[in-house]
Amino acid sequence: MLKITSLIMATVLLSSCSTTVEELYQKVAAKPSVVNNEESVVAADSSRFEPQEYNGNYVRKDGGQSSVLQMATAELKNTGVQFVLYFSYDGSEIDEAATQAIIKHANFMRDNPSLNLRLEGHADERGTREYNLALGENRALAVKEVLGLYDLNSRVEVISFGEETPLIQAHDESAWGKNRRVEFIYQ
Amino acid sequence: MRQFAAAFLALYATASFAILEVTILKKDENAFPIVISPFAVKGDAKQGEVIANIMRDNFNRSGEFNASSADYIINSQINFDKWKDKKIEAIVIGKLEQVSKNIFNVEIELIDTYTRKTLYAKKFAVHNSGIRRITHYLSDQIYFALLGVKGSFDTRLAYVTVTNMSNGKREYRLEISDSDAQNPQTIFRAASPILSPAWSPDQNKIAYVSFKNGRSEVFIQYPFMRRKTQKLPYFNGIASAPAWHPNGESLIMTLSKDGNKDIYSYHLKDEKLTRLTKDVGIDTEASYSADGERIAFTSNRSGQVQVYIKYLKTGAIKRATFEGSYNAKAVFSPDGKSLALVHRVDKDYRIALLDIATKDLIVITDNKLDESPFFSPNGGMIIFASNKGDTGVLSVVSILGHQTFELASKAGEVREPNWSHYSK
Repeated sequence: MLKITSLIMATVLLSSCSTTVEELYQKVAAKPSVVNNEESVVAADSSRFEPQEYNGNYVRKDGGQSSVLQMATAELKNTGVQFVLYFSYDGSEIDEAATQAIIKHANFMRDNPSLNLRLEGHADERGTREYNLALGENRALAVKEVLGLYDLNSRVEVISFGEETPLIQAHDESAWGKNRRVEFIYQ
Repeated sequence: MRQFAAAFLALYATASFAILEVTILKKDENAFPIVISPFAVKGDAKQGEVIANIMRDNFNRSGEFNASSADYIINSQINFDKWKDKKIEAIVIGKLEQVSKNIFNVEIELIDTYTRKTLYAKKFAVHNSGIRRITHYLSDQIYFALLGVKGSFDTRLAYVTVTNMSNGKREYRLEISDSDAQNPQTIFRAASPILSPAWSPDQNKIAYVSFKNGRSEVFIQYPFMRRKTQKLPYFNGIASAPAWHPNGESLIMTLSKDGNKDIYSYHLKDEKLTRLTKDVGIDTEASYSADGERIAFTSNRSGQVQVYIKYLKTGAIKRATFEGSYNAKAVFSPDGKSLALVHRVDKDYRIALLDIATKDLIVITDNKLDESPFFSPNGGMIIFASNKGDTGVLSVVSILGHQTFELASKAGEVREPNWSHYSK
């Protein structure tokens, strides 16, 4: 179910952003250790989505973390942010569009400090299984690297499944393109 | 010792799985013509037929022989002129005699039809349960007597099967079998992927990668012993691609504990970890040469995926592959002179043989997605995984004979083959 949703989300165009990635990076990099400073969060945050809905003030109700998890991630998904990022053949580069998506997740994580993120890296079936396992981890680590600029490293877990769990069970370019991916899974 | 092992195996196998179907796809008509006569039997010894059949199948699968039967039991009075006319170069005759309920005497003789000399003769007493094993052993002896090279019959395979279940889930099984795919046993079952099974040099352990705890970890299982599966200590990140040192005391594997994927050696007794590669790129799929002095591994350090060799005495690392943009998962031939590897040809991934010294590379398969090559212990054959239609099968190609046979499962996909060493 998650995968289907993610797939749909991935095809939704990103909402336009007023700030370029370089500027975002500069703001973050200039203040590398300001994770607890609410001001800097906002400052680095010009691409954030619907800030009024994610003010970090979630109260744990009877459902505990899982309800926060479900509610928060459902709303994040409604903003159209990608929960799956796709990669080129043998590539693990994060392009500008991907960076913008990751920054949205970074802001979301800062607003929801009780949530942790699991990044699952995947590869297409071409090439050897063990190399692809390594490649899948590199993809997830590349995403984590961007989150690390927001001091979120300790809340991000990286796992690779290589080519073992394809999203699409087919043997053509379009399937391969969908299978070379990193999935964002909040927990 | 071996018989105990077999008994335990029967006890501990969780379930036996469908036997892989063996199909010879391509036969070398110029292979060595040999006749294996039906065995003479005395007493209740129906296995006489079984022995001759197993032996013929062994020789035909090897790609080096064209083994046929005779329509009568050949005894020691051989009509040599007749067989010479038929261009048969050697004849195997045998006898199986029941001694007691479960004990049999096996007698076998290999005769050269041209010189009329006996090249090999042996007599064994064997328990009923050991007949298959003895047949593989005798096949090896005959192979050696004729070619001067050891056979690879008295060895085992390990492989992974994947079945789509009716509930939409997949079931992964780690299986072991005899070299002829008979006698299959499931030694580990999981709902998550299993990768890279590797027989230990003493043939008593199998290392493999399982995701059963949600990430790739290396396990060592003892298929013939009353001993728990051992999980290697947790190192941060990926643990994968295990391969044994020829002395069996340590494993090399890929770890990403520092973010980089590098090759490490882990000594099982000392629990000591030694780093063998250090590079910002991916280093993985390492394997030892038979003398333990070199490892081959896959690396993208050049920007392309290529195979490198590290010379462990000097520490020097040299690139081994230069042809093509993707070469990976190399394994050394038993003589250490060549590597079998996955080589990209345009958009296809095929198995190739690389002469390490001359750098000559020969592509030996012609499918779309071949992977996981592994040599038979005598170096005469390469087993690999291949995609056929929408499913995975194993193929075995004989290097000299240009013969191919296939191992397929009706139940689903077969992949990740590994061939044991000779038993010690």
